[in-house]
Amino acid sequence: MADRTMPSRSPLPNRPMNDGIAMSDDANRLDGVAKVTGSAKYGRDVMPKNGVFVSFIRCPWGHAQARSIDEEAASAVAGVLEVEITGREGRYHGEPIGHIAAESLAALRRARSALNIEWDPEDADTEIGSPEASHDDDPDGADHVLEAVYTTPVQTHSSLETHGTSIDHMGDRAIIYASTQGTFSAREGMDRVLGMPQSRFKVVCEFVGGGFGSKLNGAGKEGLTAGRIAAKYGRPAWLFCDRAEEHLDTGNRPSSRTHVRIGYRDDGTIVGGSVRTWGGVGVAGGGGGVVMPSNRYDLGRIRKQHADVRFNGGGPRAFRAPGHPQGAFAEELMIDEVATATGRDPLELRMKLDREDERRSMYELGARLIGWKRRQPTGTQASVLRRGFGIGSTSWNRFPARADAEVVIHPDASVEVRTGSQDIGTGQRTAMAIVVARQLGVPLDVVHVSIGDSSLPAGPASGGSVTATNTSLAMLEAADNLKETFLERIAAQLGVVAGALKIREGDIMQDDRRMMTWQEACAALGSAVSGRGSRSRRSDRQYSGSGHSMGVQFVDLEVDSETGVIHLNRIVAIQSCGRVICRKTAESQIIGGVIQGLSFALFEDKLLDRNTGAMVNPNLEFYRIAGPADMPKIEPVLWEGNQTGIRPLGEPPTIPTAGAIACAVFNAVGSPVRDLPLRPDRVLDAIEGGRS
Amino acid sequence: MKPFSLARPRDFAGAGKLAKDRRFRLPVIKAGGMDVVDHLKEGLIEPDLLIDVLRIDDQPEIREADGAFHIHANATLANIAASRSIARRAPVVAQCCASAATPQVRNVATAAGNLLQRPRCWYYRNSQFDCLKKGGHRCFAFDGENAYHAIFGDGPCHIVHPSNLAIGLSVCNASVRLTGSDRDAVSLADLFHMPDRGLLSEHNLKTGEVVTEIHFEPRSTSAFYAIKHKQSFDWPLVAAAAALELDGDRIESATVTAGAVAPVPWALPHVGEALVGVSLDDDTALRRACATSTRDARPMSDNEYKVRLLPVAIRRAILKAAGREVMS
Repeated sequence: MADRTMPSRSPLPNRPMNDGIAMSDDANRLDGVAKVTGSAKYGRDVMPKNGVFVSFIRCPWGHAQARSIDEEAASAVAGVLEVEITGREGRYHGEPIGHIAAESLAALRRARSALNIEWDPEDADTEIGSPEASHDDDPDGADHVLEAVYTTPVQTHSSLETHGTSIDHMGDRAIIYASTQGTFSAREGMDRVLGMPQSRFKVVCEFVGGGFGSKLNGAGKEGLTAGRIAAKYGRPAWLFCDRAEEHLDTGNRPSSRTHVRIGYRDDGTIVGGSVRTWGGVGVAGGGGGVVMPSNRYDLGRIRKQHADVRFNGGGPRAFRAPGHPQGAFAEELMIDEVATATGRDPLELRMKLDREDERRSMYELGARLIGWKRRQPTGTQASVLRRGFGIGSTSWNRFPARADAEVVIHPDASVEVRTGSQDIGTGQRTAMAIVVARQLGVPLDVVHVSIGDSSLPAGPASGGSVTATNTSLAMLEAADNLKETFLERIAAQLGVVAGALKIREGDIMQDDRRMMTWQEACAALGSAVSGRGSRSRRSDRQYSGSGHSMGVQFVDLEVDSETGVIHLNRIVAIQSCGRVICRKTAESQIIGGVIQGLSFALFEDKLLDRNTGAMVNPNLEFYRIAGPADMPKIEPVLWEGNQTGIRPLGEPPTIPTAGAIACAVFNAVGSPVRDLPLRPDRVLDAIEGGRS
Repeated sequence: MKPFSLARPRDFAGAGKLAKDRRFRLPVIKAGGMDVVDHLKEGLIEPDLLIDVLRIDDQPEIREADGAFHIHANATLANIAASRSIARRAPVVAQCCASAATPQVRNVATAAGNLLQRPRCWYYRNSQFDCLKKGGHRCFAFDGENAYHAIFGDGPCHIVHPSNLAIGLSVCNASVRLTGSDRDAVSLADLFHMPDRGLLSEHNLKTGEVVTEIHFEPRSTSAFYAIKHKQSFDWPLVAAAAALELDGDRIESATVTAGAVAPVPWALPHVGEALVGVSLDDDTALRRACATSTRDARPMSDNEYKVRLLPVAIRRAILKAAGREVMS
């Protein structure tokens, strides 16, 4: 069983780095208590007085025409302000064909039912099916060819705070409480629908209850519709999805099909071949890309073709490492199939195929931590409970983005960190406070963060793992500029040269002598002082340097061979992200990525009824998401290596998990399960010799 | 949601009277509210009177008398699962309660409410499908998404019975005590009916009849085993309850009921007969007896796997009841 004695943490000293960045090992998430006690107010919680409630009218079937709609009856319902029908055709379950505005949520519900829409259902395609693959000739130099098809289902983001916007319209100005991953991009189009210049409204988003990429869509149809209603009635407006709408119409990770025909030699070397992928994009025009092959392994010369397939479903949106988990699932399992066919250890084969030396070191550590030597060769177990071990790898590039920051020291000795960019749950608020506290040399508890407000210094939308990497550079520069100004003013008061002063734990020091306490120094300022910074090539060079993030994950699980049920024992996740700013929130990012990945591997599946095209599981009862009793011991290991700078962390930890689990199941039962989720019936099929 | 009246009767007899009060179009009895509130939210029912019986505590939640257990209708699943006496003398009942849902749900859900909850079929639970249970003309599961539906019964509706507690009680000669009519009690076996005997409800209670207590007999060599896809908050794919009488390692008698495979708790008397005389040490014979459980199974397009799981669940319930290692 699981070995509980392994260290889950690599040594990580709390010390200033040679690149000027310090970190915290023990800081707690600054807003943790507010979130668990409910005092944190999300956009959805803001219901301004005298507000108008808005909801979409949606198609209940996969494809249908509204033959009759009783707009008159709905408009006549007490409390209804307006009913607007914008189309008669619904091309997927959940597609809006109009909206209702009313004085209350109850009136909205009554009006929806009074519409009494008669639908004429039409044929609906509910999945991407089995498109034919035309493959080229077998690659040169291959001793064998593996031909296999790997599929993954549609996964919904399932944000706990649903999509929507609450607008406090105050006549000639407005505050937009959006649930968004882009405080600044959420303004797009709002000036037009509100009839106000951008100078008269702002977006506020202090907390986001999950987005994972699905809240990167500007103001969104929810925001723009609420904006139009707010402007029309000159009143506040509130439009948020309910749980079903959240599953139906706020994006998803598209389904995928990967058909490989790959050549390999007797020694496990992969010499290339063809990879054809399809992405199920619903009614959308694109967005179904599958990242397979990745750039992590040397697989010879691969000819890759991709096509998006349309069907009667909601379109995809960016979802935490778009295209990657589904591609990595196919790639990792394919590598293990080659390893097994050639009698090689999958770890040994990865050491050979992987292009990164640093990741080879990670494999060695991971193998030790998971107890890889206990792994038995694939297909050799006959017991009821069969143990399996699997591996996956990950990488993520660092992308530049525009970011500004301002730091203010107030005369009351508090320090204000100002950044308009949002904390989507990653710990950005906490990380920026730590960066500033360490760079200024003051205790963390004097630092307060103003965040998620478009009237604050601009920052990036949180997509592509860019927020902390770019904002921290602006923050470091702002803190340095502020420190310089601050010390100049204090030096003038003390009658010394500024260069002679330092700040240590808030104390103003000359050599080793305390000249003033933090409180005394700030009071002596008389007025606030501030410093600004930006992410630029210069600040990038000064504070960070190039480099990407990488990682490996190791899975230890058991398969009940009589029931097909998978029990995850442990997942070791080794992940680099350069210098760690806040250990707890960084580990939380890794754990969260692993959880989302294991839930994708084992459970999640947006299921459309084959006859009507309606989603049969648009709730959190039938749409299965991993719960507490499904959790393995997840052991995040923050890998320092020789890395400098602050590198991306949000996306990479969710990439390898599903593939590593699929490899471990293959190891346990002896046949690959090539379709996610790894349901008990599919595992049983694999065990009984058939292919799932 | 339409406005409704709320009544809080002092006792179950009062609740029964209100339930057949002609002034109301649709009186609905609510205890823990787990299922009734779900129905209200999904718009599946629009009661004009909600009869809240949760505060009725005219008896202790769990008592033993005349060699049997008497469970108050409002006893929570959590308290039944935590009862040391039930765990010792009728472990199958404690285990099926402990296996349900989550701690949060078990702390609120009541025994009678659990027995009388409506099925979890995703077509039934979705107000846009006018299925047979809602007075429609079609079972959408039959040629649709039926992975979690019945493998026994001839329809026309293919739900599976949702209560774990009912599966466990069914091997303990259980009955429910009633008020509100001329009968005092009905056996658990007679409490539920198959879809061909009525689609709009799953139980045989008459309007105004209210469950006040559940009676069951001790079965000290008994167990419940559920196979679940997800271990947190999921419905079993297949479940089994077994109560044994052993002579050493030899089964003298066995009562077996399967769950999540049929519209009612699926009693398997022929499996019980096949088990008589089987030694627990003779795994081949044990498996052969358990395999008879699927004799009449008629799976649909997506639930054939349940046919493979059912003998596994039964065998494990038997071994667990006998205190044996389950996964050997």
